[in-house]
Amino acid sequence: MTVVRVEGLRAVAGSRTLVDGVSFALSAGRVVALVGASGSGKTTTGLALLGEHGPGVSVSGQITVSGRVGFVPQQPSAALNPVRRLGGVFREIAALHPGDRDSLISTALRRARVPVELLRRYPHELSGGQQQRVVLAQALVGDPAVLVADEPTTGQDPITRAEVVDELAAVVAQGVALVLLTHDLDVVRALADEVVVLRAGQVVEAGSTDDVLTRPRSPYTAALVAAQPRVTVPSAGPPRAPRLETRSLTARHRSTAVLRSVDVQVGAGERLAVVGRSGSGKTTLARCVAGLHPTFEGDVLLDGRPLPRSLRRRSRGQLAAVQYVFQDARASFDAYRTVLDQVSRTAVRLGGVADARALALTELAAVGLDEATVTRRPAALSGGELQRAALVRALLARPDVLVCDEITSGLDTLTQARLLDQLARLTCTLVLISHDLAVVARLADRVAVLHQGDLVEHGAAVDVLGSPTHPVTIGLLGRSLEGTEEKRT
Amino acid sequence: MSLRRYALRRLAIGLVQVLAVVTVVFLLVQALPGDAAVALAGDNPDPRRIEEIRVAMGLDRPALDRFGSWLWGLAHGDFGVSLFSGRPVAEFLHDGLGPTLVLALLALVLLIPLSVLLGVLAALREGGPLDRVVTTVTVGLHSIPEFALAVVLIAVFGVQLRWLPPTAVGADLLASPAVLVLPLVVLIARPLCSISRLVRAGMIDALASDHVRHALRLGIGVTRVRFAHALPSALAPAVQQVARTVDWLLGGVIVVEAVFVIPGLGTILVDAVAGRDLPVVQGLAVVFAVTTVVVNLVADLVVFRLAPRSVAIA
Repeated sequence: MTVVRVEGLRAVAGSRTLVDGVSFALSAGRVVALVGASGSGKTTTGLALLGEHGPGVSVSGQITVSGRVGFVPQQPSAALNPVRRLGGVFREIAALHPGDRDSLISTALRRARVPVELLRRYPHELSGGQQQRVVLAQALVGDPAVLVADEPTTGQDPITRAEVVDELAAVVAQGVALVLLTHDLDVVRALADEVVVLRAGQVVEAGSTDDVLTRPRSPYTAALVAAQPRVTVPSAGPPRAPRLETRSLTARHRSTAVLRSVDVQVGAGERLAVVGRSGSGKTTLARCVAGLHPTFEGDVLLDGRPLPRSLRRRSRGQLAAVQYVFQDARASFDAYRTVLDQVSRTAVRLGGVADARALALTELAAVGLDEATVTRRPAALSGGELQRAALVRALLARPDVLVCDEITSGLDTLTQARLLDQLARLTCTLVLISHDLAVVARLADRVAVLHQGDLVEHGAAVDVLGSPTHPVTIGLLGRSLEGTEEKRT
Repeated sequence: MSLRRYALRRLAIGLVQVLAVVTVVFLLVQALPGDAAVALAGDNPDPRRIEEIRVAMGLDRPALDRFGSWLWGLAHGDFGVSLFSGRPVAEFLHDGLGPTLVLALLALVLLIPLSVLLGVLAALREGGPLDRVVTTVTVGLHSIPEFALAVVLIAVFGVQLRWLPPTAVGADLLASPAVLVLPLVVLIARPLCSISRLVRAGMIDALASDHVRHALRLGIGVTRVRFAHALPSALAPAVQQVARTVDWLLGGVIVVEAVFVIPGLGTILVDAVAGRDLPVVQGLAVVFAVTTVVVNLVADLVVFRLAPRSVAIA
C-alpha cells in the first residue's frame, strides 16, 4: 500500500529554484533515503511532506500522504525544551490525538523503547541516545503512517549511530514508512530500500539502494560514493622525536575527573588522532593542549619545553605555535564582520605579516574560496565553506601544532573529502579529534583511544587500527567497518 | 550538585557576606569626621561637654570593644539602642519596614505582570509598529532618573492638575491609596523598561529556537507553544533583573522616599547617617545585606527551575 506519493514537487524562493521536479513513492514499512550535499533540496523536500516551507518559499506539485506524518529532528538536544519535563510535553502531544492519553503515550514509549521513568526528567538529564529515542517516541504518538528523519546520525559517535539505526529499523519493522534525509551513506546502506540522489534540487538518480550505491549510473553519485572514507589500515612511518607531548595530564570539570593521567606524544609533521565516544574526554584533552582548559595537573610540552597552562600566560609565539579549529565553525566566527577580516586578523596578530589581506586572499583562494565569497559575513557562507575558512585562519599563524576538533562531522561526503585532502597536505603536526575512524584511518600516523577519561590505547595507527585490543576501539572500529553488512533483511 | 546542597552552601556564603558588610559599614562610619557626641552637642559645642556625652554614650571605649559587644548582641537578636533617643534599633527597623514593604510589594505586583506582558507583546510583533512604539517609550523612559520623573509628576498631577496628593506627609499609606499612585509610578518606571526589554529579547530568541519549531511540528497549538514552551525559557534572563529590582525596592529607595516624604527605611538611613547614629546604621546594614543575599538566592533557585541546564553545568 502506497502511503506517500510525491509528484513533480517544485519549491521556489524568489528567483532561486530549491527543488525542481522531485517525484517518489513509498509504501508502508519501506524506507526511502534522500541523499545529497547541503543545499541539494533534501530538507525542503522533507519539510514539504510535513506541509511546511521556509519563509518566502512557494511549493507546487502533488503530495499525497495517507495518514499522519511524524518528524524526527536533526539535533534532539536542541529540539527538546530545556525547561520542560518530558512527561508534560508528551501529555500535550497526546491531547492532540483521539483516544486515551495515557495509553497513547505508553504505546509510543514502548515502540521507541523509552522507559516510563524518563518522563519525570528534564532533557539535560538524558544521554544523547536517550534524547534521540525520546524525539522518536514523540513522533510516534498517535501512530503516524510516515516518519521523516532529518540527518538523524549527524555528529553522533559510531556506537550511538548504530543505536539510532537500530531504533529506526525497529520502527520501520512495525510498518511505518520512513523518509530519511541524510548524507551518511553508511546509514543509507543500513536502512534504505530506495535512494533518491539530489543535486541542486534535481533528481540525479533514483533506484534501489544496491543499484544506486554499488553501480551508480551518474558521475555525481559515483563521486559521492567514492568520496566516502573507508577504514583502511595505513602503513607505519619511521618514529620521530616528539614535538608535542602530554605528561600525566589530569583534568577536571569541577570535582569530576574527565581525564586521568594521560600521556601522549606526537612527532614533528606527524598526525595524531584522538578517538573515543562522546564524553570520553577527547575535546578536553585538545582544550588542555590549546590552553583553553587551564585547570589541569601534569604538563603539556612543546619541543620538550612546558607550555603555560592558560592561554593568557602564553607568549605570542606560543599562541601561534598551537592553533585550534573548532567543531562548530559558524560559532567560531563573529557574525558581524566579514570572513576575510577575521581570517586575515590572525596573520596580522600572530604571523606579523605586512599585507595580511593579500596573503589571506591567496590562501583562501587555494582552498576554493574566492574574494566575492569571503568578503561577505559568515551568515552568507555554508558550513563547509566556513570550516575551510577557519582552517585557513588557523594556518595563517604558521602553527607547529594544529588541533582540529571534529571538524568534518556534519559535512556531506564530498565537502568532507575536500577538507580531508586539505588536511592531508599540511606539513605541521596535526592533532585530530574524531570519532569517525574512517577519517582517522585516512590521515593519522598515531592513534590515541580515550575511554571515560583514561587512555586505553596509544600507538602507531597501523598497530591500533590493525590489531585493536581494547573493547572500545574494537567497538568503534567494528561499527565503522560493518556499515555495509548491517542492512536489514 | 543537588538543589538543597546548593542552597545551603549559598546561605553559608551569605552569612559571611553579611558579616563582611557590617564590618565595612562599622569601619566607614568610624572613618567619618565627627561622631554622635559632636552631632548631639549642637552648634558651638564645648569640648568638655562633648567628652561627657561621649562617656555617657560609651563612645570612649575602644572601637573593637564596641564592635565586639554589638556583634555579640546581634547574635542574640539584639540590635542595640539608638545613641540619640535610646529607643531600641529594632523599633526603628519595624517602623521603617512597613511603608517600604507596602511600596515594594505593590510595585512588584504591578511590575512583573506588566513587564512580562509588554515584553511578550513586543516580541510577538517584532519589527511591527507596536514593537517600535514600546521600544521607543521604554528606552526613553529608562533614561529619566527617578528624582526628575518624580518632580515632573508632582508638578503636573499634584500641583497643576491637583488630581493626586503631591506628597504623603502624615498620611496612612494603606488608608489613602491616592498618595501611593505617584510614588509607585516613579518606582515602576525604570525597572519596567529594563525587565520588559529582557523579556522581549529572551522571547525573540526562544521563538526562533529549535525546540519551539519542533513543538510546532509536533502539532502543539501556537498559543500553547508561545506561553508554555517559549515563555518559560525567555524568562530566565529577566529573573536576575527582577531580583536586582526587588533588592533595590526593599532597600528603601531613598530618592523617592525623600521626594514624597514617606517614612521608610531609606529616610531612616539618611537621618541615622546624618546623626552618626551608628547602631541604627548598622542595624539597617544587616537588614539590607540579608535581603540582598536572600533575594539573590531565591532568584538563582527560580533560574535553576527555568534553565536547569545552565546551573547544572556551572
